[in-house]
Amino acid sequence: MTSSRFLVAPALALLVLGCPGGGGSGGGTATFSISGTVSGAVAANVLVSLSGKETSSATTNSAGAFSFTGLPSGSYTLRPTLSGYTFTPPSASVAVNGASQSGVDFTSSVGPPANVVPITVNGSLCSSSAYMNEPCVAVTICSPTTGACQTIDGILLDTGSVGLRVFAQLLTVPLTPIASGTGQLAECLQFGSFTDWGPVETASVVLGGEPAASMPIQVIESTYASPPSACASAITDPTTAGFNGILGVNFFAQDCGVDCASTVGNGVYYACTTSGTAACSEVAAPLANQVPNPVGLLATDNNGVIVQLPVVPPQGLLSASGTLLLGIGTRSNNVPSGVTKYSVDQFGGFETQLGGVQYPGSFLDTGSNGFFFAAPDPSQLPACTCPTGIPPSECADYTGWFCPASTLSLTATNIAATGSPSGPVSFSIANFLALSSSLNVFPDVGGPDPSASDGFDWGLPFYFGLDVYFGLEGTTSSLGTGPYVAY
Amino acid sequence: MARRLFAPLLALGLVLSVAAAALPAVAALGEPVASVASDTKALAATRRADTARQGYTVHELATGGSVVREFSSPAGVVFGIAWQGIAEPDLTPLLGSYLTEYRASLAETPPARGRRSQQVIGAHVVVERWGHMRNIRGRAYVPALLPSGVTAHDIQ
Repeated sequence: MTSSRFLVAPALALLVLGCPGGGGSGGGTATFSISGTVSGAVAANVLVSLSGKETSSATTNSAGAFSFTGLPSGSYTLRPTLSGYTFTPPSASVAVNGASQSGVDFTSSVGPPANVVPITVNGSLCSSSAYMNEPCVAVTICSPTTGACQTIDGILLDTGSVGLRVFAQLLTVPLTPIASGTGQLAECLQFGSFTDWGPVETASVVLGGEPAASMPIQVIESTYASPPSACASAITDPTTAGFNGILGVNFFAQDCGVDCASTVGNGVYYACTTSGTAACSEVAAPLANQVPNPVGLLATDNNGVIVQLPVVPPQGLLSASGTLLLGIGTRSNNVPSGVTKYSVDQFGGFETQLGGVQYPGSFLDTGSNGFFFAAPDPSQLPACTCPTGIPPSECADYTGWFCPASTLSLTATNIAATGSPSGPVSFSIANFLALSSSLNVFPDVGGPDPSASDGFDWGLPFYFGLDVYFGLEGTTSSLGTGPYVAY
Repeated sequence: MARRLFAPLLALGLVLSVAAAALPAVAALGEPVASVASDTKALAATRRADTARQGYTVHELATGGSVVREFSSPAGVVFGIAWQGIAEPDLTPLLGSYLTEYRASLAETPPARGRRSQQVIGAHVVVERWGHMRNIRGRAYVPALLPSGVTAHDIQ
């Protein structure tokens, strides 16, 4: 038994290398080959993936050469990957039309480790409609069917949600709808200040230099099918939103989880038919079909993330640069150091105490652009008044912020959901109207939440000068088992 | 065969739960608490216990995605609604006659970018929402209908 299995394995390997997946090369149809070379900082052992008419992969030999044989005529995309290296061009499109193609060459150079995703707060990775204190990343999305890829920047990095979502207007590669009931899966989400509607489709997602991972993502499309009434006024376009999409990477594995897998009327997932005007119907969505935390689907570096942002001076900056590291303790660049772990409850909250007030539903959220909370003493932290000359429709841009007489220094206490540990957090709230109108990144800004809110929303300024960890549920690191935050 | 039995059983469960949900009656905002039987039914909700508090009564419903609390005055009029869960409940049956005003106010409320909360303030009705994924919170109330001694802070 053992010896016969041993013989089968090499035979299978030969088949995979010599014959593209999906078959179809028999029956007398003419086939061709695509070949090329990788040179530069590294040549050998580079994985070259082929997609398009057929799907396959090959590894370069010691001279950097690779080839795919047995290919029918059609369009193909080749993409070299090796952890720690970048390639020029990143991918190559090759048309096989009755003849083999050679000379599909790539040049390699030493790049950042594969688990590094650059962040800019405002700055070059954000869209032109970005708002104050907005952290942006770029994500590459590939079609599961054609293999074609596109890189989309201006994606809001959001530790207050889970899942990758991209506006339909920006997608140029075809994704694969997910069947649900008699139609296709869609979802309606509340993001507090806006609602989000659109289909859930399968994409191949590339984060940083990691290998692509197949997963459901949401296409943000307010006009898709017949939205439920809760999503009748869903966000319509990137300019209104201020971002091109959302990359949600908190500590949960799916956006909804078991509640939506077991309950039909969950208010989140719907099955839609795109022909006719029938309303979408509520459905339970199996965990595998829900929009996942993309980090959890990676082959490695999949147990959480670290957000690293620099110190920002009180007067502000035009923009700032930081890093999203994938994985915790999985490489030399993401080993936990000098941080305290705080567990979170089933809703993703821990407790903050400030000025004698308890905020049990508190959270660390890069998707919020200030410190937002119901002030313990509103006379100390009054909301700004609307400046004269501002039309009423724009007043909320001012009255939504705190305007203390002078910058107020505060110390809160954060307490893990399990009751310990706890630790102090010092922060400041400046007069919002005194900030420079020509800068975009500010550390000391905050505003009032509705008085009934029992959560302290630690927005982006919390992150300045810190490494903040999010441990994914069901995974472990040297810090413990997720879900947790650490800083 | 064993697998095929599941579908009829599930369907039967759905019929039973809808029938159970249709029994209790909780009203829409501004309406008498006992006047509208369609509200709980419209949300496919199940009714939980009522709780008497100082100056008002809380009626609690559970939908598949959230817990909804309706606040009624001693005169039996619903003056506030609060919710918490994985999704916001359908406000159509809950806001009743205030739905049109709310929708008009919402259309004029600019998106609060970078925030997890929103206030939609109309001439008669206020709708507020806050929280984050898996902990969606909010409330709606009519300030003019608050019983004496009750503040908006009580509606949560």
